[in-house]
Amino acid sequence: MARTSSIQNKMMLLVLIPLLVWLGAFELVPVLRMIAMSFQNNDGQGFTLGQYVKGLTNPLYGKAMLNSLKISFISSVAGLIIALVCSYSITRFTTKLRDRMIMISNMITNFVGVPLAFAYMILLGSNGMLTLIGKELGIRSIAGFDLYSEAGLTLTYIYYQVPMAILLVYPLYNGIREEWKEAAAMLGASVWSFWRHIGIPVLLPGVLGTFSILMANALGAYATAYALTGSNYNLLSIRISALVSGDIFPNFQLGSALAVILAVIMIASLVINEWMASLSRRRGL
Amino acid sequence: MKPKTSGKSDGRKWHGTVLGVLLVYLFLPVAGTLLFSLARQWQDGILPDGYTLQWYGSIFTDGRFLAAVGRTLLVGVITVIVTLALMVPVIFVLNVYFPKWERLLQISVLLPFAFPPVVSAIGLIKMYSSGPVAITGTVWILIGVYFIMIQPFIYQSVRNSLSTINAKDLVEAAEMLGASRMAAFRRVILPNILPGTLVASLLSFSMIFGEFVMSRMLVGGQFETVQMYLYNQMNTSGQAASAVVVTYFALILVLSGLVLKLGAWKPKGYRSAQVEEE
Amino acid sequence: MSYVRIENINKSYQQQKVLNDISFSIEEGQFLTLLGPSGCGKSTLLRAIAGLNEIDSGSISVGDRNITALPSKERQIGMVFQSYALFPNMTVFENIAFGLKMDKMKKSEYTPLVEEMIALIDLKGKENRYPAQLSGGQQQRVALARSLVKRPKVLLLDEPLSALDAQIRRSLRTEIRLLQKRLKMTTIFVTHDQEEALTVSDRIIIMNQGRIEQEGSPEDIYTHPASEFVARFIGSYNVLKRSDIGLDSLPDTELFAVRPEVISIAPLAEAPVAELGTATIEGKVEQLYILGNVIRFTVSAGGLDILVDALNNSTVHRIQEGMDVRLFLPADKCEPLRQ
Repeated sequence: MARTSSIQNKMMLLVLIPLLVWLGAFELVPVLRMIAMSFQNNDGQGFTLGQYVKGLTNPLYGKAMLNSLKISFISSVAGLIIALVCSYSITRFTTKLRDRMIMISNMITNFVGVPLAFAYMILLGSNGMLTLIGKELGIRSIAGFDLYSEAGLTLTYIYYQVPMAILLVYPLYNGIREEWKEAAAMLGASVWSFWRHIGIPVLLPGVLGTFSILMANALGAYATAYALTGSNYNLLSIRISALVSGDIFPNFQLGSALAVILAVIMIASLVINEWMASLSRRRGL
Repeated sequence: MKPKTSGKSDGRKWHGTVLGVLLVYLFLPVAGTLLFSLARQWQDGILPDGYTLQWYGSIFTDGRFLAAVGRTLLVGVITVIVTLALMVPVIFVLNVYFPKWERLLQISVLLPFAFPPVVSAIGLIKMYSSGPVAITGTVWILIGVYFIMIQPFIYQSVRNSLSTINAKDLVEAAEMLGASRMAAFRRVILPNILPGTLVASLLSFSMIFGEFVMSRMLVGGQFETVQMYLYNQMNTSGQAASAVVVTYFALILVLSGLVLKLGAWKPKGYRSAQVEEE
Repeated sequence: MSYVRIENINKSYQQQKVLNDISFSIEEGQFLTLLGPSGCGKSTLLRAIAGLNEIDSGSISVGDRNITALPSKERQIGMVFQSYALFPNMTVFENIAFGLKMDKMKKSEYTPLVEEMIALIDLKGKENRYPAQLSGGQQQRVALARSLVKRPKVLLLDEPLSALDAQIRRSLRTEIRLLQKRLKMTTIFVTHDQEEALTVSDRIIIMNQGRIEQEGSPEDIYTHPASEFVARFIGSYNVLKRSDIGLDSLPDTELFAVRPEVISIAPLAEAPVAELGTATIEGKVEQLYILGNVIRFTVSAGGLDILVDALNNSTVHRIQEGMDVRLFLPADKCEPLRQ
């Protein structure tokens, strides 16, 4: 680099200021404000752990957390399994087709929230297309399917987890080199032995990382559930929103405490993902 | 003659079937919505009684819908421009002159993932509902938060473009040839990162068109965006709402197509050479 | 009967013949090199022997077993890849033990074998390292050990050295050769590096465009190239036409290969008369390099560039760039080339 004065170099850091101000105003300060509120009593005064105690012991909120975790876990596992199978199939095709499939997955990840909830109502609502076909054919499980229940919500969550999981899992398969399969075969391994001893262990950190991202994705989701069930289904994100912008009396302090709990879970997921990624890097993958 | 002849074509069939099922699964909701939006009337039959474009007609003549689209476009365009104007110089300066400081950006891009809208909205409502900057319910708060939401994508793509073209070497070469820093940035770097930046902008744009949580919690009916309009319409006219969903999906489709076109573009001389296989 | 027999192998890929009726055989314990430019089919052939590529016709036998239709894992053939192909999730020990484990050996049975192998490749103390923690040369030695520990009937080496830098490449190729001799391992080695091939092999097969160009010992190939392709590929041969040399006593072919060091050079002004059976060519020195006690001249003569290596003696020492010279080519040193 041309050694111009270091002052001139430092001057360039001024471009950072607007960004830092923006991040402060719309992310950092509000988050700090929220954390502060979570330690206040209902009148916004003092310092108390009461909101956390209430959030964790009140059966309503406990159930919300449990529901959120359950629905996120099931949808993440299901999405991951579907993505593992489908991504592998995608890798078996030509580059052009692979790019197409990735583009489609990318596109569908935009199809979440209100539009997704609505599309599912059209398919599986009480008068939905598939529901009607189910009635016609006499398939009880489809005809009587309740989209607005836990099962229905899980189904919509799985739908938006799948393309996201494909985008995350697909690159992992590129890490499995064709020569490893060939070397394993030359050493007497069957296809199954290859996957058991090499393929799966190599994929594992990435898969666990993907799982944690999917968990975070589902835990933080709000729009799909809200559009589908309003505030009727008891999820953590729905509770938080109802506490701060609902029709009942707002309780920002309790809402903040629940939000902090949610954020902690999300950050834990991100840390797990980062940890898994560094584990893969150390192996030179 | 040939070892393991069988199995190969079976595998083909299996993988083809998997992809087929996947495509049906992914497109079924869209297809269903499309069919619904074209139906004149739909009672108990499996297929509609007749087809019509009237629902598209109705939304495109509905002033409220057009206004919502206009508002979302406005927020999208302003946010993307502001984000680019602020982020591109920062990414460039840190990437080329202060690589150690890039850590800062890596943390900032993680923020929206650690604090989903439902979480960060709380502090925002409290801070901006009253007091000196009471901007909830206005376009300003949306621009503020959408900036935070899209900056990770802008960062990712601009940084990738910079490293594809070896920005540091290019700038140094330009400086050795007597260009000023500004000139080096404007005439050498900017044209080369433009396509990547455009891709990120389009992706950001489609995100903003799909955003619901912030606009419901921070703005509500006072500044109705497309997603809010859709949510309200869902409860009044299902078929008009389905036309909105299809229109929204068509927009994503167009944006994705553009992204694919632009994504394949690489600055001249950076195309990876076709590797000769033995 | 030979140990490994490759008979009439043909393979086409998208209407192009990549292997054209290839046949050869290898004796037990022999080190055979397949040498050729990239794209000549040598790797395809090796992978066909490994069972990793299908062939259109032909047969492959090892010992008294025809292995043509067997899957790779039943062929009892070991293979070392250019990119090492070590399993990244396994340590050095686990990598080497993998093949034995696949043979359902117990840990107590294979541990001594693996340890012996680790000692043999000089990686004692690194058993528990992961591949990413080893240098390229070390990784390739592990890959070699991983194949050898199973005592395969044949060992295949697919450009195992080309990802390494020059110095390690030279030392590792000697190491491979010593190990191969000690274990009397029948080995097929693929490379595009002629120097490598000439130094390590018992026998060399030169391939070009899916065919065998020449087969023989390194000495044979070095001193008697059979075709223009081999002469040019093997090294700095001058390839001359019959009319360039202009001697009646030459064998009856059109092209000849002449090594630079068999040509003598003298300044035109003081050049002696040619002896019987020696051709003379007159030209001008374009360039000269001093390579230790040898001087290499590039002499241009009627549109030809002829390389001449001469010992740096007092006559030769006086020759400078731009000087007119006379070259002497003994007829019996002109190697006839088939077309």
